[in-house]
Amino acid sequence: MALLNILHFPDPRLRNKALPVAQVDDAVRTLVDDMLETMYDAPGIGLAATQVNVAKRVVVMDLSLEKNAPLCLINPEIVSRSGTEEMEEGCLSVPGVYETVQRAERVTVRALDRDGKPFELDSDGLLAVCIQHEIDHLEGKLFVDYLSELKRTRVRKRMEKVRQHTL
Amino acid sequence: MTANTRTVVAYTLVQVLEQRKSLSEVLAPQLAHISAPRERSLAQEICYGVLRWHLRLEAVLGRLLRAPFKERDKDIHCLLLAGLYQLIYLRLPAHAAVDATVEATLALDKGWARGVVNAVLRHYLRDSERLLAAADADECARLAHPTWLLELLKQAWPHGHNLPSWQAIAAANNERAPMCLRVNMRRTTRAEYLAQLQASGIAAHATLYSPQGVTLEKPAGVEGLPGFAAGEMSVQDEGAQLAAGLLAAEPGERVLDACSAPGGKACHILETTPALLELVALDNSAARLARVQENLDRLGLAATLVEGDAGAPQTWWDGRPFDRILLDAPCSGTGVIRRHPDIKWLRRATDIAAAAQAQQRLLRALWPLLKPGGVLLYAVCSVLPQEGEHQVRDFMAGQPNARAEPLALPADAEGGTILTGSHGMDGFHYARLRKGYL
Repeated sequence: MALLNILHFPDPRLRNKALPVAQVDDAVRTLVDDMLETMYDAPGIGLAATQVNVAKRVVVMDLSLEKNAPLCLINPEIVSRSGTEEMEEGCLSVPGVYETVQRAERVTVRALDRDGKPFELDSDGLLAVCIQHEIDHLEGKLFVDYLSELKRTRVRKRMEKVRQHTL
Repeated sequence: MTANTRTVVAYTLVQVLEQRKSLSEVLAPQLAHISAPRERSLAQEICYGVLRWHLRLEAVLGRLLRAPFKERDKDIHCLLLAGLYQLIYLRLPAHAAVDATVEATLALDKGWARGVVNAVLRHYLRDSERLLAAADADECARLAHPTWLLELLKQAWPHGHNLPSWQAIAAANNERAPMCLRVNMRRTTRAEYLAQLQASGIAAHATLYSPQGVTLEKPAGVEGLPGFAAGEMSVQDEGAQLAAGLLAAEPGERVLDACSAPGGKACHILETTPALLELVALDNSAARLARVQENLDRLGLAATLVEGDAGAPQTWWDGRPFDRILLDAPCSGTGVIRRHPDIKWLRRATDIAAAAQAQQRLLRALWPLLKPGGVLLYAVCSVLPQEGEHQVRDFMAGQPNARAEPLALPADAEGGTILTGSHGMDGFHYARLRKGYL
């Protein structure tokens, strides 16, 4: 197990599109385990492989406050969505920024689990929001993209300033 | 994605208010779910604030809800308490606080509550003056104290200077406590440490009554303060720092700290009296003794750690008497409510009698371990005479060879009780008992 480095906005590598996983093998399972460890350590409730600079369609999540309900989605695809819902979101790649984003209220996702077995999951509420947030990462999209131009520029300037002071 | 701040707050409050767990036990693991430091301190501020003003917030919320929430929806109830706290006490823009609280319903996976939360908080904003006035008509709500505790405080402290002391105590209980440090005399001096703080841009001043104390103008994270890892100081209230001076151990003496964990007072005694024969730090919990050892290690001190029940010396005592005994007895904690506001909710009236009984048992069990001519210092972080003055009086009635000695305390510390908030200190009761040669 190893902690992975999380990329921070506006790092251009966060814009990479992830490629499907051809086969769920031990290397992928190690990636999943490392991503879970990294997510718990951060701490976060969801992490996409793009955020740790791996261009694979892999997402991990754990919405439980006891950190004992890990969920892994490999090659996830949203097969249906309905309704709209607004929620304040935060992201490990945009630390300290919390903004309201409008998303689908309910989504059904199809994916492979850690053993490579396909499954389908109906979700609403926080789980639905988190799934959409993480799958966006695999497409190179961030939650700040949903903000107005003005707000996004402000976030980017702040993040660049933080980077200057911390690197 | 990261966890929602207000969700973490709601879960924390559910554990304290519904499951009756202590805030200090549940807060740290809950805050660990939040990654941004600014959000983490906001969550902490809201949790403490809601528990500080809990009964007042309940009184307002009760006027805004048509029916109570079901058992499984107490998280929404807690979210609303947190929302009201932000609107009444925090200088956040009202609409932002409302929006964030409404959105948190979704992060709790209870989107259905959106409408209720929105309606309740907006109703409050429309009608805040009238709602607060109606809530404040009730004394318990206005002072945010349970009836039983107000009654005990009124009985104990009916008089005072400007206002009756019980009111001053209740007000002090709802204040934020100052952050006070104890400088390790073995490693540095108070003047040197104050200079270090100044060099780091941290405003602080020397305490008036503890010769080792430093009060920070603004609370700060202890790990970020100079000299913490190097053991140059510890965090300890000034009232608690008086214990070592009152015990006044001398070089060559054998000292017992009877309910030692987490070891603050034991460490203080060792820091100020280097040539003790031995300090025995006793506690009935091995886990808590490990905390004592951590503190000793960090501060570069040594003590003999013993696991055992102070009320049953036959199970652990080696038969060698002590020159001094510090009995910092388990108590209701009514003197430290400003640091642990959940005490007002978690304690019940019946706990006081139970604590008093346990305290008397400890006093009687430990007294025979004291050498003739020796001193036992009795301490409780409570302002209730049931645990302080009465306790000592009852004990002395059965011990003709115990004599109470005068205490070097602030002049207004009537009969050995420091009232919460006076001179900036936590509430304490101290009694210094000398054993005669009978």
